[in-house]
Amino acid sequence: MNYQLEMLLSDQPAVLERVLQTTRYRGFRINQLNMQPAPEQLASRKLKVSMQVSGKQPITILTSQLHKLYDLASLECRTALSPSIERQSTLTQALPRTA
Amino acid sequence: MKKGAQAILHFLTEQGIDQVFGYPGGAIMPLYDALLDSPIRHYLCRHEQGAAFAAIGYARSTNQVGVCIATSGPGATNLLTSLADAKLDSVPLVMITGQVARSAMGSDAFQEVDVLGLSLSICKHSMLVLEPQELLPTLQKAFQIAREGRPGPVLVDIPKDILTGLVPESDEQAASATAMPLAIPAQLQTANQLLAESQRPMLYIGGGVGMADAVNELRDLIDRTQLPQVCTLKGLGSANTDHPLYLGMLGMHGLAAANLSVQQCDLLIAIGARLDDRVTGKLDEFAPHAKLLHIDIDPAEIHKRRQADVSLLGDLKVILPQLHCVGDKQAWREHVSELKASKAFPYAFDHSPGQIDAPQLLRMLSDMSAANAIVSCDVGQHQMWVAQHMQFSHPTCHLSSGGLGTMGFGLPAAIGAQVANPDTQVVAVCGDGSFMMNVQELGTLRRYRMPVKILILDNQRLGMVKQWQELFHDERYSETDLSDNPEFSRLAAAFDIDSDVICCRSQVQTALERMLAHQGPYLLHVQLDHKDNVWPIVPPNTANHQMWEQPK
Repeated sequence: MNYQLEMLLSDQPAVLERVLQTTRYRGFRINQLNMQPAPEQLASRKLKVSMQVSGKQPITILTSQLHKLYDLASLECRTALSPSIERQSTLTQALPRTA
Repeated sequence: MKKGAQAILHFLTEQGIDQVFGYPGGAIMPLYDALLDSPIRHYLCRHEQGAAFAAIGYARSTNQVGVCIATSGPGATNLLTSLADAKLDSVPLVMITGQVARSAMGSDAFQEVDVLGLSLSICKHSMLVLEPQELLPTLQKAFQIAREGRPGPVLVDIPKDILTGLVPESDEQAASATAMPLAIPAQLQTANQLLAESQRPMLYIGGGVGMADAVNELRDLIDRTQLPQVCTLKGLGSANTDHPLYLGMLGMHGLAAANLSVQQCDLLIAIGARLDDRVTGKLDEFAPHAKLLHIDIDPAEIHKRRQADVSLLGDLKVILPQLHCVGDKQAWREHVSELKASKAFPYAFDHSPGQIDAPQLLRMLSDMSAANAIVSCDVGQHQMWVAQHMQFSHPTCHLSSGGLGTMGFGLPAAIGAQVANPDTQVVAVCGDGSFMMNVQELGTLRRYRMPVKILILDNQRLGMVKQWQELFHDERYSETDLSDNPEFSRLAAAFDIDSDVICCRSQVQTALERMLAHQGPYLLHVQLDHKDNVWPIVPPNTANHQMWEQPK
């Protein structure tokens, strides 16, 4: 199953490594990755990261761990059908950062 | 304006931190220089891993943030095992590491290592301070993250030139605490409905209860509902061990009644527990007839290993008082009570001259030591015997490396616990293999003359590995023979620590009495039969009710 993740991250040292490590460790493969400064958030130095991942586990195994990253400002997850990304459902978790 | 090093110590003092653990070195030298003029008491351990385990012992025995300090490079890498240990056991810790000066960073400078990169997956959060004005806000954030929600370790890496340079006062107000989730009333109602409808409910208590400071709320819940209870390794001490329906630890080396009851229950109420593999055994046969009510502060633990039927996310202190259990569960209570009686461990406190039996010795130690005594242990057979046969009045009284299972934890953790609790009896129960992993901390005991008691359960083996080789590897013993151990009493003597050695059952009581009555540090070397194993055991990929309760 493919998933499209849209993240807004604080531009802190190692922030991208955190996302990549978490994704690998929780058993997901990265198929596409794009990163750019968030134009509307220039003042607060935010990065916009789009990532397409695939994995056998439920995506919540990954998204619940990404939510723990202190440099993550927001996360949106969509189910994607490969090869063309088709929006099936949008899963926007509003998890408290308590862990 | 203060120099960075002074500002850090001033900040720590403001946080109420007056005792830290560490080991000096090049990049962190400015902080050690400033320590000379600070009211903070620094405890010099003999290895950075020992310092960090001491900070963990401090934190776990108090539920407060522990602080340890190390230099760059090898100092920082020596912390990493302890950092992972604290992550896996949710221990609030702040580690401060020196880093080479910013101008040298990235040049493979002397004692330079990318500790931020190394730390990422083994801590709750880690930060590198790159500007002087970031120093104090970063520390503030570190303490807040370490404490809030599910606690955990935070590493702060600070270049040497920031320690020596001036840093501005922080005008940032303390960040407001992250709002804890509040369990949704509808879910609470469903949870209470599940409790009411269940015929065979069981409380499965994890380390989260102690970390949430919810021991009183849990005991109140037990008093109100009279539900049977089992504990994880980290949950031990949360429930009142005198309660007639308290069944002890569950899992791979859980007590028989605990495992059997969980397998038979129809509602499992996981409280601050994460259904880890040592608890569940074969996951799809764990509590196979039960619905799962999962209560935790960490959303990532809900549905992680098993889909919960109902979950309550939030502070246990708030949630537990809102749980109720109506309906007639008396038949179940009686069944559990009978199971507990029929599976009770057959302690026989005889004084025959035979070989020492570790379970009986530990039960005797448990009965003889102070009610609030703190017991730390290493990892292996002795750790499981401690969990099975000693009783704890509070989770802060039992310090055991659970998630990471780190050998060498016991002695330094006991040192940290004794620093935090100078008037409390502290006993480190060590295996002979584990003890040697941080044996250098005898030097710390000698330096500070702390009255830590060390009990070495010595079977001249890496006992747990040997047990697995015996049971599951056709008795092919590979590299588990430690019969060339040093003579532990002579080792203790080299550090001015009094000691005793016993080898037969008739010596146990007197030796334990002498150890506990001794004024200073003490080492009791207990020689065991290497053939002794830990029972019960749940073999790998086996359901918990199929545990082996005794040797075949």
